[in-house]
Amino acid sequence: MKEITIETLDLVKNVAQDLITDWAMKFQGVRYADIRIEASEARSAVALDGNPVSACADWEISFGVRVIAGKKMLASGYYGRHLGTFDLKKLSSEIKAGISHARQRALANAQHKLDMKERFGSLAGSLCDTILAPVEIHRAAHQLPFLTDPRQVPLEKAISEVVSISKNIQQIKEVIANEVIFEGTIIRKLFLSSEGASIDFTFPITAFMPFIITRTEGEQRSVIYDCLGDFAGWEVMEGQNVYSKDARTFTLDLAAEAARLSQASILPSSEKEVVVVTDPHYNALLVHEIVGHPVELDRILKWETGYAGRSRLFKSFGHHQIGQQVASPLVTALSDPTLLGFGYLPFDDEGVRARKVVHINKGILTADFLNSRETAAVMQAMGMAVQPNGAMRARDPIFVPLVRMTNTVFAPGDRRPEDIIREVDEGYYFKGCSVPSISESRENFRISAREVWKIEKGELTTLYRWGSISADSETYLKSIDAVGNDFKLYPIPNCGKGQPMQTMHVGNGGPTMRGRAKVVGGDMRRGGAA
Amino acid sequence: MKKIANLRSAAVKGLEYLLTVNDVKEAEVFVAVNDRFVARLNYTSAISCNGVQELKSDYSSGVSVRAVFETKEGAKIGFGSEDKQTSLNAVKRALIKARKVAVADPHFKSLPRPIGSVPTLKNYHDPEIMKGNDGLLAGQAWRVLEGALKTFQEAGFTERDSLSVTGDITVLREQIAIASTHGIVDCDQSTILMAAITAMIEEKNSKGTGWATGTHFTQFDAEEAGRMAARSAIDTIGGQRIRSGKYSVIFGHQPVCALFTNLVIPCLSLSSAMLNTSPFKEKLDQLIMAEDISIYDDGSLPGRMASKRITCEGIPTGRTQLVDRGRLVGLLANSYFANWAGDSRFVPRNGFRFGGGGRWHRSEPGISATNLVIESANPVSEEKLCKKVGNGVFIGRLWYLYPINGSGSGDFTGTVVGDSYLIKDGKIANPLQPNTVRINGNWLELMKGNILGVSGEQKATLDWAIEEIVLAPQIAFADVELEEIDVLLA
Repeated sequence: MKEITIETLDLVKNVAQDLITDWAMKFQGVRYADIRIEASEARSAVALDGNPVSACADWEISFGVRVIAGKKMLASGYYGRHLGTFDLKKLSSEIKAGISHARQRALANAQHKLDMKERFGSLAGSLCDTILAPVEIHRAAHQLPFLTDPRQVPLEKAISEVVSISKNIQQIKEVIANEVIFEGTIIRKLFLSSEGASIDFTFPITAFMPFIITRTEGEQRSVIYDCLGDFAGWEVMEGQNVYSKDARTFTLDLAAEAARLSQASILPSSEKEVVVVTDPHYNALLVHEIVGHPVELDRILKWETGYAGRSRLFKSFGHHQIGQQVASPLVTALSDPTLLGFGYLPFDDEGVRARKVVHINKGILTADFLNSRETAAVMQAMGMAVQPNGAMRARDPIFVPLVRMTNTVFAPGDRRPEDIIREVDEGYYFKGCSVPSISESRENFRISAREVWKIEKGELTTLYRWGSISADSETYLKSIDAVGNDFKLYPIPNCGKGQPMQTMHVGNGGPTMRGRAKVVGGDMRRGGAA
Repeated sequence: MKKIANLRSAAVKGLEYLLTVNDVKEAEVFVAVNDRFVARLNYTSAISCNGVQELKSDYSSGVSVRAVFETKEGAKIGFGSEDKQTSLNAVKRALIKARKVAVADPHFKSLPRPIGSVPTLKNYHDPEIMKGNDGLLAGQAWRVLEGALKTFQEAGFTERDSLSVTGDITVLREQIAIASTHGIVDCDQSTILMAAITAMIEEKNSKGTGWATGTHFTQFDAEEAGRMAARSAIDTIGGQRIRSGKYSVIFGHQPVCALFTNLVIPCLSLSSAMLNTSPFKEKLDQLIMAEDISIYDDGSLPGRMASKRITCEGIPTGRTQLVDRGRLVGLLANSYFANWAGDSRFVPRNGFRFGGGGRWHRSEPGISATNLVIESANPVSEEKLCKKVGNGVFIGRLWYLYPINGSGSGDFTGTVVGDSYLIKDGKIANPLQPNTVRINGNWLELMKGNILGVSGEQKATLDWAIEEIVLAPQIAFADVELEEIDVLLA
C-alpha cells in the first residue's frame, strides 16, 4: 500500500471538484458548497536534557465541508474528518457522506432559524439568511519555494541536531532543564467551491522551539522559550530566519539570556507611568493582542463574545471608532499576507485572494478589519463598503475556518532605536515578549517581557526579570512618541481561538517604540529583591 | 461510532500479531474512535446573525502502536499511528512507522503495567448519544437560545437593548480499546455534554454566564443554560466601578476553576516536577497551602462529566490525593513520568491522550486531570463566606488568568469579566461593572496565607479549551490586589 503524500491530492482534486460543483448542488435547497482538503508530511524530534524523547515521521490527510442550504431561510452546516490510506479507494463515498452530513445540518439549522424567527417576532428580527459577500472566483496553483525539502531531511539528522543542541545548553551552569523541539512539515491545501473556485497551495513550515529552565534566586524556576520558524525548509535551522542565526546559536544565546536573568533581581513596580521603550520582539506580542485581535471582524460583530471577547474599537454600528484617533499619529498598524512569514498566504480558506489591509493609519482607525465573506456581507448589509480581504484560516480542514491575523504588524518609522533609548533620561527597556493577559475587549493589557533594563541617562544599566507593562490599550498607543526603523517580523506558532480551540501560526512584529505606562514587577516576597 | 467489542477485538488481534515480531520486546496497541459535535451560538439583536452560527463536527478514528524494539544500539521506544482503519493491516503499518522513529530515551523504563486495581465505572455512557443524532443535537443548541430569549422577553427587554447570546454546546463521543504485552486488555466508552453560554445586555453594560454539563441527555438542560446566562445578565445591570486597591475577595466557582486549571494543576503534575518547571519539585510532605485545604483528582466519580473507566494507558481511574490538609502528598502522573521518578507515591492514574476531539490515537499519553476536587476541612455556607469578607468583592467570572511571570513564580494576572458583585456588610450588594477590573496576585501566597474561608458547596465547572472539570467551591481571600481598568467605549 502506498504512503499518503502531498501528491495524493492530485487524485483527490478531480473527484472532489466534481462532487462539489455538480453532485452537491443537485440537492434541493443547496445554495453553496465548498470543500477544503489538506495533506501534509511531517518530521519532528524532541530532546530533553540532552536525551532523545520522541520522534515522528508521518503524514495526515483530512477534509472539511461547508454547505449553505435551506428552504425558506439559509443556514450553514459543516462536517470534518480525517482520512486514512484505505479511504483513497472509496474517496468519493467519503466526501459524499461529508457533504450529506453538512447539508442535513444546514437544513436543520435553517428550519430552526425560521421557527425561532416566527416565534419571537422582533426579538428575533436580526436572524437572517447566511450570505457570503461576492468575490472574484480564482483558479490558481501556487507552491512556495524552499531550499531544503522537509521530506528530504533524514529523521536521524533532526534527532541528532536537537539532542546535540540540548546537550550543549545543559552544560550551562544555571540551566537545570531544557526541552528542544523541531518540526518540519510540507503542507498542500486544496480549496474547491461550487462557484468554481480551485485553489491549490503548497508550502513548507519549519519551527524550532527551545525551552530553557533555570533556577533563580529564592529557588524559583524560570522558563524562557522562543520560536525560530518560517515558511521554509531546513534552511531555517541553518540561519535563514528573522534572527539570522542557526538553531544552535539561537538556542545558546537564549540560554545565555536565561542564565543572566536567573541572577537578576525582580523588577520593582512603578507607582506612576514611566517611559518605556519596547523592542520589536515585545511589540510582536503587543500588536497581536491589542491591535490584531480587536480588528478581527468576527470579534467586532460579537461572534466571539462567549470566548475571546469583543473589540474595544467597535461597540455598535452607531458607536465605534472608525475614523477616530486611536493611537499616536506615529503609529500605523496593518496586516500584510504578502510578507514571507507565518502569516503568508496567497488565498485564504474561502478562496479569497489575501491582501494587505491597513487597520490604523497614522493613528486613525480605518474600516479595514480582517474579515471573511460572511462577516463582510454583514458590513455590506449595513451600508459599509467592505470587501472580503482573505483572512479566513483553519489549522486543519476538519475545523471551521476563523478570521485570523496574517502578518499583523506595527509599521516602521524613521528613528534609530539607539537614539530612541539615548533620549530617555529615566525609564525602562522591555526586550523580548513573554506572557500576555488582556481584558475582554482588549481595552487593557498586561504583557510581561523576558528582559527589562533600567534606562538611566540614555544607557541600559540594571537588568531585571519578571517585569510587565500594564496599561489601557488606547492610552498607551496614544502615548507613543517614537517609532524605530528596525522592523522585524516574528513567527508566532500558536495563536489559540475558537471552539473547539484551534491554534494557528501567524506573523507579528514591528520596530522599536517608545511610550508611557506603568510597569509591574513580580512578588518581591518570592526572593530576588533589588 | 463502532461496536466497542470490535474495537477491543482489533486491539487484541493487533497485539497477537506484535507478539510474533522478533525485535519487539514490549508493545501496546491503542484503538480509538471519536466524534465531537459542536453547535456554536451567535445571536445579536442589533446585528444580523444566524442564531446558531455553526453546526459542525470532526471525526477521527485509528490505531496507534507504542513498541520497545531490541536494536544493535540497545532498546529503543517508538510510536506510530494509522488513521481511520483499525484492522490488522493498520496495526502493521503503525508498527513500521514506530520502528522508523524509535529513539533510545534513557528516562523510559517500561510501557504501562497494571497497578492492581480494577475499574469501577460501568456502562456510564448514554447509548442514545452514542448512536448519534444530528437533529437532536441541533435542537439542543436552539433550546439554549430559546431559554435566553424567553428570559429576556419575560423581563421586558427588547432588541433595542443590544442583546447577545453566544457560546456553544459540545457533545463528545469517545471509544477506546487497548491491549499490551503487560497484560492490559480493556476498553472504554464515554459521552460528554457541555454548554458554556454568555449573555449580554450591551446597552446596560451587563453580562452573565450559564452552563450545563452531563453525561446523559436526561441530565442536560440546554434551555436552563440559556436562562441562567440571561438571568445573570439581567441581575448584573447597574454595575459599579471600584477603585484600585487591596480587597477581600470571594472567588466564585468559575474563578476557582480558572485559578486551578491555568495555574495550580500545571504545578501539581509530575511532568512539571520532573521537567523542573514546578515550584513543588522537592516539596512532597511539606506545607504548600493553608492547612484547611485538601485537593484530589478522581476520574472514577460516578456521573461526572470528566470521569473515565480507564486511562488511555489502560489503567483503572481512581482517586489521587494531591494535597492533604495543606501538605503536598501526591502529583498527577502517567506511566512514563511515574516510572522515571521511581517513587511508589506517584500512581499513574492520569495518563490520557486528549487531542483531536477526544481520546486521540495520534497522541502519546500526557498527564491530564479529570475531576479535580477542592475541599476544606472547615467549610462554611456561601452566606457565611460573605460575612467573613465583610466588605469586598465577589468575582463570578475571570478571563485570561495567566502565570504572567511563568508557572514557577506563582504570579498571575487576569480580568473580571462578568457575574460579579460588591459585598457590603457581609452581603452581596450592587453588581460590579464587567470588564473594569484587573486582578494581580501570587497564587502560592494566596493559597497559603490569605484564605478567609471556603464554601461547602462545590460546582462542576469548566473552562475554555480544557479537558478536566473542577469541582470548585467558592474561596474567600484577603488582600487581593484589584486594579481599575478602562472600559469599552464608555
